[in-house]
Amino acid sequence: MIDPEELRTRARDLLEGGQVRAVIGYRRGTRGWAAEPVVITRSEEAQDLVWDPSCVHNLALYLVQDRRRRGVLRGPPDRPIGILAKGCDARAIVVLMQENYVQRDEVYIIGLSCESSGMLDERKLAGAAEGIDPQDLEAVDFEGDAFVLSSRHQQWRLPAAGVMAERCLECRNPCPKVHDTLLGKEPREQERRGQALTPAMSDPFAELQRFEQTADSVEARWDFWSRQFDRCIRCFACRSVCPMCYCEECMVDSISFVVTPDTTAQEKANRLRWIERSASRSDNIGYHLTRALHLAGRCIDCGECERVCPVRIPLRLLNTKMERESRERFGYEPGASVEVAALLSSFRDDDPNDFIR
Amino acid sequence: MSGKRIGVFVCHCGNNIAGTVDVAQVASVMAAEDGVVCTSDHAYMCSDPGQNAVIAAIKENALDGVVVSCCSPNLHERTFRENAKAAGLNAFDCEIANIREQCAWVHRDPGEATEKAIRISRVAVRRLGRNRALDAIAIGVTRRVLVVGAGIAGIQASLDLAAAGLEVVLVERQATIGGRMMGLSETFPTLDCSQCVLSPRMVEVARHPRITLMVSSEVEKVSGYVGNFQVRIRRQAAYVDPDLCKLCDDCAQVCPVVAPNEYELGLSARRAIFMPYPQAIPATYTLDAASCLGLNPVVCGKCRDVCEAGAIAYDRKPETVVEQVGAVVVATGFDLYGQQQLGEYGLGAIEDVLDGLQFERLCSASGPTKGKILRPSDHRAPKDVVFIQCVGSRDPARHCAWCSKICCMYTAKHAKLFKHQVPDGRAYVFYIDIRSGGKGYEEFVQGVMEEDEVMYLRGRVSRVYQDGDKVRVFGTDTLSGQNVEIAADLVVLALAMQPSAGTAAIAKTLKISRDKDGFLAEAHPKLRPVESVTAGVFLAGTAQGPKDIPETVAQASAAAAKAIGLLSQPQLSHAPTVAAVRSRLCTGCRMCVDTCPYDAIRLVNGKAVVTDVLCEGCGSCVTSCLRAAIQVKNSTPLQMKEMIEAVLRV
Repeated sequence: MIDPEELRTRARDLLEGGQVRAVIGYRRGTRGWAAEPVVITRSEEAQDLVWDPSCVHNLALYLVQDRRRRGVLRGPPDRPIGILAKGCDARAIVVLMQENYVQRDEVYIIGLSCESSGMLDERKLAGAAEGIDPQDLEAVDFEGDAFVLSSRHQQWRLPAAGVMAERCLECRNPCPKVHDTLLGKEPREQERRGQALTPAMSDPFAELQRFEQTADSVEARWDFWSRQFDRCIRCFACRSVCPMCYCEECMVDSISFVVTPDTTAQEKANRLRWIERSASRSDNIGYHLTRALHLAGRCIDCGECERVCPVRIPLRLLNTKMERESRERFGYEPGASVEVAALLSSFRDDDPNDFIR
Repeated sequence: MSGKRIGVFVCHCGNNIAGTVDVAQVASVMAAEDGVVCTSDHAYMCSDPGQNAVIAAIKENALDGVVVSCCSPNLHERTFRENAKAAGLNAFDCEIANIREQCAWVHRDPGEATEKAIRISRVAVRRLGRNRALDAIAIGVTRRVLVVGAGIAGIQASLDLAAAGLEVVLVERQATIGGRMMGLSETFPTLDCSQCVLSPRMVEVARHPRITLMVSSEVEKVSGYVGNFQVRIRRQAAYVDPDLCKLCDDCAQVCPVVAPNEYELGLSARRAIFMPYPQAIPATYTLDAASCLGLNPVVCGKCRDVCEAGAIAYDRKPETVVEQVGAVVVATGFDLYGQQQLGEYGLGAIEDVLDGLQFERLCSASGPTKGKILRPSDHRAPKDVVFIQCVGSRDPARHCAWCSKICCMYTAKHAKLFKHQVPDGRAYVFYIDIRSGGKGYEEFVQGVMEEDEVMYLRGRVSRVYQDGDKVRVFGTDTLSGQNVEIAADLVVLALAMQPSAGTAAIAKTLKISRDKDGFLAEAHPKLRPVESVTAGVFLAGTAQGPKDIPETVAQASAAAAKAIGLLSQPQLSHAPTVAAVRSRLCTGCRMCVDTCPYDAIRLVNGKAVVTDVLCEGCGSCVTSCLRAAIQVKNSTPLQMKEMIEAVLRV
């Protein structure tokens, strides 16, 4: 496991040496044990950085925000920005680079290997052990194949697989492939597969398969998704947390219509509203399915949309479905390489075309 | 609403539309639509009175736009847009609502069909409401033509194009022009010598000042658009300089390599340096690098040493040439259907089973046997020859579904030539039925049956196998109901015709489509038979479908005429319905750049930019853009949304 001190030293050196203008990382949040994202610009702030199983957030989102801000400042960055990146974060950064949104030399990637562990799913804590109350916890740490949770009075050592986030159990690659410096080790293949710690890690679509086995007819799936989408309150947390949702104007949501000095009166008058703002089933479905399609070949399964959903819509099912489809039919893995053309803009002669009659 | 004053004109198309759709009702319902100020229906809107009614209505009612509910826009969009222009409007002030192909023809219930026709018309009204006036984009023309493939089709097209004063670049993959026809003996139904009629044309091509001939060359890349294509051609290294070569044959005499002669279809051998045919154009020896000992004087430099003219050099390199042309004629010809798939006929396994083209070489005076029909195994004249038609053709279950069209005729000719040489021989023809449509064709086949006493057996062959020095053929004569067994000396198979091996690649390079069988697809099977779907690319010869020589020549001249017509215009116009970028929303993700099949989009300062003349308005970029930052003019998302709402009555 990565020693957090090593991480702090690396960040401090980078900032002191002026190699990066800031580092995007995690620090202890205001809610006790849980980490929160932070952007540090001074070397003395490096001591605040943490690395533990609560570092769930996909930091690529803050890279997107950085580029947005630079867009306003209209200045090219003089130095790269440093970013801590787990395997999933790094895949997201690769997609951003693939889409030309972030240039390689604008980022300094401090890769963090989750090795053979993963991130804690807070929702799985309830009932995971006698007496655990997430509100009382003060710290959570990696310890081999377990997480150690501490409150003021007590400590629990829980098998990590039992409380780990689903997406970590199904992780495609816990170690970043693209990085400038790497902390932690590439987990050995036998550690990733078959061992007791993360039995599901060998199967990236386990939850999807479980779903398909239970909802095995069109009617059953329609019932299931109708129930899910009926609950959506259209808070757009899923969109806000997604590093891939960086369009200035979102087609499902006319309130985000960007008005700039060069927006014409006609554009304002004719702005499109494909989907109404009211949270009805039909419009909710329109929103979520459009989003799923726009993420096809782009979603790298960080699972953030599902984590932040206040009504617990299992959004990963939609996104992993698209991912499995693109993998099985087109051999495409999102976030695997900057060089390859994006899934939906590339065409090969041997692409399956049996759907054309 | 748009505030435009719109007229709707509903066509009966005789009974084509009015038979199913209540056109009067369509007109009256449309009259109540927002923005529609006049409607009418007419028996034939495309007739002269019909068109005049449209023009008159525009003027009388001061219309801003018209919707014509009629047939497919493929047929009459241009007609009615011209009417709109004649009445002082823009072409895009006219939209077509297709209520024939997409409605009347596919429905039976008049009530439902009428309802659908109303909705289709309403959609067109809504679309028209937001159409912007656009003018065609004018583009210049390069008055040169690329002809791909120098068989009889390519040769004929080139000569016709050059005769019209256009410059021609004729590209041939092989070392000589002439193609398949050069390998034929006599041609049906007149039995004139194929090489004798073809070689004067070949000489004419070689000597024509406006034809640039490039043999041993292949088209690598084609970019640009109708009127202005850039073509990259790769020419194999010419180890023998055609200008210096004196055709003395000294080089072939000393060459130690023996290889099967592909121009004799493997029936004879050649050296690594050789002349494909005595009539080869360009008249020069050819060094086949694949069979040569290595183009290395240390290993073998005999031909170079013996060449007094100094025509041979081993260090020549392939070269790449870029040509500018305004149009392309594709004439890449045919191959015989794959021999490896036809094991049941013993082809390739039994020496005395030949395909039709090999038999042509045996009959040809310039062939390996100097025109004597001798069987390959023992070089004896065969006495019993079995000809099998439809080998691979008309067999949708296992091979090719199509009829190869020429096999009935050439098999009859083969049998005739054989009987002329071996009058006491016996020729048998297995056939499914005889297709001899064509001038003098039926008479020819009758003559073969009656005068030459060739035995025609209606039925298929079940088995062919070697039996001693005979080839035993089992078959059925379905007319007599008897099984037939023939101990033949030679078996000739009329293999199916399929598009030549390079056809798929050239289709991809030129972005033209192929049909389900792999032949090049014409833009319209009846009205545009020599045009491809890509503007400026024309089709000729057997790459488009099986056909005989007269038909090939006619099609080649037709393709040439189309190209001449195209390039005679002072300027070409390009449809203005091209993609446009809303650059404020563009994030420069390049997806549209990768998607565009026409290379029409590039990034400039991190934003997508469309080159209008390259854009075909296909909309692929629109679907790939996640930010909705690119849209096709007059097919905007706003229009699409309003059209969807109109059709759903939201």
